[in-house]
Amino acid sequence: MTTVTDTPAAQSHPTTTVAGTRGTPAAPAPLSGRDAYRDELTRLAELDPSILCLEADLGGKGHPFQAAHPGRFFNLGIAEGAMVDMAAGLAAGGYRPFVSTFAPFAALRAAESLKLTLGYLNSGVTVVAPYAGVSGAWFGTTHHCLEDLAILRSIPGVTIAAPHGEAEMRAVVRAAARSGRPHYIRTGRNARYTSLDLPAGAELPDVNWEFPAGPDAVCLVSVGEEGTRLAVEARTLTPGTAHAHLVYADHEHLTRSAAELARRHSHFVVVEEHRGQGGVAEALALLLPRCEVTSVAADRRWPSHGGDHAEVMAALGLDLNAVLHALTRAGAPHSTNHSRSLACTS
Amino acid sequence: MTAVTERPVTLRADLATLAERAVAARRLVVDMAASPRGCHLGGSLSVLDILLAALDRAAAGDGTEVVLSKGHAAAGLYAALHVSGVLPDDPAPRYGLAGEPYTGHPGPGVPGVRFPTGSLGHGVPYAAGWALARRIGGQGGLGIAVAGDGELQEGLVWETCQVAAARELGNLVLVVDVNGGQNDGLVADISPLPRLAERFAAFGFDVVEVDGHDLAALTEVFADDRRAERRPLAVLARTVKGKGVPAVEGRAGSHYVTIDAARAAKWKRAIR
Repeated sequence: MTTVTDTPAAQSHPTTTVAGTRGTPAAPAPLSGRDAYRDELTRLAELDPSILCLEADLGGKGHPFQAAHPGRFFNLGIAEGAMVDMAAGLAAGGYRPFVSTFAPFAALRAAESLKLTLGYLNSGVTVVAPYAGVSGAWFGTTHHCLEDLAILRSIPGVTIAAPHGEAEMRAVVRAAARSGRPHYIRTGRNARYTSLDLPAGAELPDVNWEFPAGPDAVCLVSVGEEGTRLAVEARTLTPGTAHAHLVYADHEHLTRSAAELARRHSHFVVVEEHRGQGGVAEALALLLPRCEVTSVAADRRWPSHGGDHAEVMAALGLDLNAVLHALTRAGAPHSTNHSRSLACTS
Repeated sequence: MTAVTERPVTLRADLATLAERAVAARRLVVDMAASPRGCHLGGSLSVLDILLAALDRAAAGDGTEVVLSKGHAAAGLYAALHVSGVLPDDPAPRYGLAGEPYTGHPGPGVPGVRFPTGSLGHGVPYAAGWALARRIGGQGGLGIAVAGDGELQEGLVWETCQVAAARELGNLVLVVDVNGGQNDGLVADISPLPRLAERFAAFGFDVVEVDGHDLAALTEVFADDRRAERRPLAVLARTVKGKGVPAVEGRAGSHYVTIDAARAAKWKRAIR
């Protein structure tokens, strides 16, 4: 396996801030999903001595958990299958392991270990998988992962989360630690997002209604970092469109989410950074047989060219243009900005 | 790491008792070969003495966990668990039947079984994780993985050996049931394992070679506390496929066997 060492800036704990307007204090920039995971887990471990942090050479450099809890931090090297299986042994021994490596290596290389550890054994192990989707961008196809939701969704009993932004990631990590149940958490690379407003309370909602609308409106359904970014952008360009954001993508959560979605709308456009096959749209289509579900996802091509994250997504047909087209096909009114957007992105 | 000290472990059964268990367990395995499902007979019989000695170490109560990584020898594991007192009921009449937990590869529905094995290679990291958990907590007890020599063809075994050596898991014991056979024939014909002891040594393991049917030698190996050790231990246990049943001893064709009741009765009488 070829491994890619991230840039030092990406590995270090971020301390940058977003410059504010003149005369106002700078607002702290949100952490990326994986940095938010590292920081939140480190905090949780101060209170819970059973929490362990395992890495497989792709996240251990400068890890705050290692500095704070060196006796409970284990960089096991490039050994994803052994890491997940050893986590099963550690969980059986009374610990709560969090393991992390890039999504393609967690979900595919160690797929059988995930099936046995997270699924069959129902171990209290959490797998945190950055580089999901094509966030690996120019690193190439080996470092992309457009299949993990399909794999994990087919394994019973695994809670699957695709948080958007720092606050959601922190909430998901806390929920995983609190539950002691198997979790798979996918995130991107270094993109930083501010989470949508979250309802008060400890539990994340099955559906977070970022923008409600009447029952005749088309409803955007967003999953993950980029899916949510695109949905928010498309919604602002398409007046009257609703937007429902999902944090969890496993069958149990989607079943409840589908019921809530169907109470409000009948036409949905699902945006996710995954292949359509095995993705959330496909699941919702089965759960919502009387509704119309349109998928905006990566197409069937292999992302084999370079580019940044957005460019690789666009090469796979996953961009704002595609979302706006899907909304139009689903019956949403044209926005005044639609043609301009099409012109910009085509 | 918590400071540890070496101390002897008191085993539970004397050698005569273990030998009696071995005879009883082999007869149970033959019963399971006579079930409608049949069983992986040769490997179940080769690994039995190893399992009995390892389970006796676990019975010392110090937190030792035994993982049968070569899970296709489930019949041998069920028999060993039963004669060792871990599994209260005789598994043979229920083996492979609908609604019963005694599947052809073991899962945690069986008393005394903590991990699902049979997809080869996984039992070794399970045991390594267990060993690491004991070490983090400053606790005694071994993680004992019992693997097959054919199983060593799986990369996950060596991936875990690399990790175990790097983490200095001296309380991990990897026993290899070296019976020379695998599903399609002889290991030597399919994917040989030359200089096996040297391989483990090169990975940073302590290595011992024993007769895998010598209960005295096996119990001596498992009697070490190993809390102060920094090198994992590989035990190369030379065994005979089909051991104890003269009709199949040493035959690669004994890998999976289904027999009728009359033949089972004859074979059981021959077990001494």
